[in-house]
Amino acid sequence: MSSTAAAPVEDLDDDQREAVQHLLYRLGDDEFVAAERYTEWQVRAPTLESDLALSNIAQDELGHARLWYDLLQDFGYDEPDLLFERDPETFRHSTMTELPFEEGDWSDAIVRTYLYDVAEDLRLEALEDSSYGPIRDRVGKIQSEEDYHLEHAESWLDRLASDDDGQRRLQEAVDRLFPYALTLFEPTDPDVEARIVDNEYRTEPLDELGEEWLSNVVPKLESYGLDVPISEDGTITSADLPPEIGRDGNHMDDWESLYDDFTQTYRDLGRTEATTLMEDPS
Amino acid sequence: MSSELPSDPDADATPCQYTEYREGGDVEDLPATGEDADGLEAAVWDVLYEIEDPEMPISIVDLGLIYGVDATDATDGDGSDVTIAMTLTYTGCPAREMLLSQVTDEVGAVDGVADASVQLVWSPEWTLEMVTEQGEEDLKEFGLSI
Repeated sequence: MSSTAAAPVEDLDDDQREAVQHLLYRLGDDEFVAAERYTEWQVRAPTLESDLALSNIAQDELGHARLWYDLLQDFGYDEPDLLFERDPETFRHSTMTELPFEEGDWSDAIVRTYLYDVAEDLRLEALEDSSYGPIRDRVGKIQSEEDYHLEHAESWLDRLASDDDGQRRLQEAVDRLFPYALTLFEPTDPDVEARIVDNEYRTEPLDELGEEWLSNVVPKLESYGLDVPISEDGTITSADLPPEIGRDGNHMDDWESLYDDFTQTYRDLGRTEATTLMEDPS
Repeated sequence: MSSELPSDPDADATPCQYTEYREGGDVEDLPATGEDADGLEAAVWDVLYEIEDPEMPISIVDLGLIYGVDATDATDGDGSDVTIAMTLTYTGCPAREMLLSQVTDEVGAVDGVADASVQLVWSPEWTLEMVTEQGEEDLKEFGLSI
């Protein structure tokens, strides 16, 4: 079943199809993989409320991943193609989303969701006027479900920054995560990325989004007395990035184990198609 | 052909068709309740009214999930192909597949329907204002005031 019977896929030439697909993969894969990691906190977060909040954020991000993957289905892929039987090297998420949490470190989860959600807000804004209608039409719904994500991260940043131990943990998380967060703004492929912007599938180039993000998160983190590991003038070079950026299909070893985890049940049960929750009613 | 669908799936697809229902104030036409429908479309609306939200005793029509019903002559064979435009309250809705299968199965079983499909739409976004008066009463009885 196609989710968007009137999708304008047919109007795209080959170059445009590639550009829209790259854009959708980076959106969908980020959301899906981030959510996979967030769910590791289920029943392990420091309080019941924070447990429910992060689990719920994970569920939101899975819902958003589904909205983007639905649009890839319009190009003829099905769910196994997009997730359960997909070559793990073709995933295009940022390596920050696949990075394992520092064991038991809640500040890692908080800094990560903060860095990610600021970036997500900015990129959704840059999709509000997308020339590709089906993308544009999904933005409002997603934004309406994103509101409280940042609120959650910021309220925890406040709490963690209020004593020395929390402050130290936050600093370690920032040092560790920041290089990976920069990969959120890396292209999947420079030529295809140029096409994404030229065709206005996304109306802002990645470097501008990255600058906006920096001008947002750096002062915020510094206001907590944290040092942000970038050069004084704020210039980002490839030296600031980790070896694996993810967008180009180059991933960390941790991705392989995460991929094995979420595809395990599918493989163990010998599935050849994604199943529904229950048998269709007779 | 019903005018309630936000877009015509048979038309040549262009980005412009999305502009129309995004900015054209079509929200005012929602909730769609099928009150002006006749013939096969009316029969489809009747079936949709019988389908309840999986978590609350309220019809998916009264909850405001249905944006339109569109019947066209089947491309092959007898009967009509029916497309139901609908949304979900939440993108991460765990009952999505269950609900969509129920809609296509039950509409597909209506006499005269050759094929039923769902077009899932996310714009305009579902809001509480799309719950009908009947829906508000049903929810109130269930213990939810909106």
